[in-house]
Amino acid sequence: MREIILQVEDLRTSFFTRRGEVKAVDGVSFYVREGETFGIVGESGCGKTVTGLSLLRLLPEPAGRIVGGKIILEGTNLMELSKKAMRAYRGKMISMILQDPMTSLNPVYPIGDQIAESVRLHQNLADEHMVEQEVISALRLLRIPSPEMILRQYPFQLSGGMRQRVVGAIAMSCHPRVLIADEPTTALDATIQAQYMALFKDVQQKTNVAIIFITHDFGVIANMCHRVGVMYAGKIIETAPTREIFNAPRHPYTSALINSVPRLDRKDDRLYSIEGQPPSLMNLPPGCRFAPRCTVAQEICREQEPPEVDIGNGHSVSCWKVK
Amino acid sequence: MVTNVEVKPKHQYRGLTQWGRIFRNLGMILPAAIFALLIFTAIFANFLAPFPYDETSLTERRQPPAWVEGGSTKHFLGTDTLGRDILSRAIYGARISLSVSLLAIAITASIGTTLGIVAGYMGGRIDAFIMRVTDIAMAFPGLLLAILIAVSLGPGFFTVIFALSILGWSGYARIIRGEALRIRNSDYVAQAQIIGVSPWRIMLRHIFPNILNILIIGITLSVGTMILAESAMSYLGIGIPPPMPSWGSMVSDGRNDLDRAWWISTFPGICIGLVVLSGNFLGDWIRDKMDPRLRQM
Repeated sequence: MREIILQVEDLRTSFFTRRGEVKAVDGVSFYVREGETFGIVGESGCGKTVTGLSLLRLLPEPAGRIVGGKIILEGTNLMELSKKAMRAYRGKMISMILQDPMTSLNPVYPIGDQIAESVRLHQNLADEHMVEQEVISALRLLRIPSPEMILRQYPFQLSGGMRQRVVGAIAMSCHPRVLIADEPTTALDATIQAQYMALFKDVQQKTNVAIIFITHDFGVIANMCHRVGVMYAGKIIETAPTREIFNAPRHPYTSALINSVPRLDRKDDRLYSIEGQPPSLMNLPPGCRFAPRCTVAQEICREQEPPEVDIGNGHSVSCWKVK
Repeated sequence: MVTNVEVKPKHQYRGLTQWGRIFRNLGMILPAAIFALLIFTAIFANFLAPFPYDETSLTERRQPPAWVEGGSTKHFLGTDTLGRDILSRAIYGARISLSVSLLAIAITASIGTTLGIVAGYMGGRIDAFIMRVTDIAMAFPGLLLAILIAVSLGPGFFTVIFALSILGWSGYARIIRGEALRIRNSDYVAQAQIIGVSPWRIMLRHIFPNILNILIIGITLSVGTMILAESAMSYLGIGIPPPMPSWGSMVSDGRNDLDRAWWISTFPGICIGLVVLSGNFLGDWIRDKMDPRLRQM
């Protein structure tokens, strides 16, 4: 078994608004191994992105705050680092790719400068020539054609797919151990999406980076991830190897979610959808947070929160139905 | 084989001849020309002015301009109550107006931009504090404070600049703060944070270059305001002390003689009006060119 690089334990992140505390992430635990891709899947507003930002400790302050938990990256608890020490970790040890390639590059600098910014910050290189070599190798890693030319171009001169690769190059430029990818393919069209995912796998093979892949797309999960955590209303309710999630989902929410994916091999009149709305994160139901929408919920589900049960084979579920 | 290939100009306004194009841009060309002239006269005042600005001649007091009966080409725009050449004084006045307003703008723009970026980026209490101070600066009666400063420090070149700067930064701070706030929430700032760039560096390298267009628009639009404010102070006698000529004080000098020597006040007044108007036109034009939402052609 490969080594565990990042271990998240009982992470809790809240937003403190005038109307009350919004528990965006409410006790999330998971781990990622070296060279492994862990997917976090869930519907909009379930706390996927906030989980990603929390790992970097980059929440919109002062409203958002991590109120509890541990983030252990290679033996160091990131929660205990000073602001300055945390900055040194960002980009070097743990990095992130944002959703929209159109807006995540600064319009006023050539892209080479933007990659070089990270290189200069984290690698003590003697001269500018070495910085440029690093920039070029980062562009090569993401298979960007003729990097020597591309690095002098401005973001507006590149296509969306190319920009997203550049964003990837920035994230990977200092060889981080963990990469958080927050729906990096959502803004791309299907062909480019497939290309990009293949590219990611290639990058992972070359660098052995651990990837946390945040998405709402089960197709992407099936393609990319080794293990998956299904998130609902701020909590991971089921974790399993990708194959198991698809073949033997145990949590009613997971199976409902998989059922809602349109399929080519079945002819359905109507697409399946889950009744109701996710609960407000400001006042969660007392029991299982999925109980109000669950078709098999019992008395106990509405009263007590289900504990996480390990059912073997790296599969764990939080549901009263699972013994 | 040589063929005549018609090369089309890169930027062609639809259906406009060359003259039409020039006419269309007159709103920009004319103010720019006036401004260029202003800068030129300010720099070369020593060579352009026919007389020293403080040379009095008691035998030639209140001489009318050359084209009015009794005027001579020696003093083209006439002379004032002390017999000083108005043209020469107006030329030197350009130097005062320009240097005072440019220095004051440099100071106010620097202070306002710094505070605006810090407030917009830092947010929270720092933002609240800076913006409340800005509100106070905006609510304060500027002329009153200017008088107070002039009285306590004594009139002079730097007193005027100080008085114009002490409140003038607030407009910049407010506009820049809004813009910085918008950019602070952009993805590329998030991206910079992700790779571990420090807050000060983000403000300097990522936010500042992206507010430059707004800043340039603000600066050009405030040239007129500053010249006007300087003139107002000089008119009230709390500006540049005599015998240095300032357009404002020149207007003030002639106000008792308006009925018999209208030219003493009129020409410096025209200078003020023309320059302020040009400044505003130029500012509008630059704003139209720099704001992509307004640039349609």
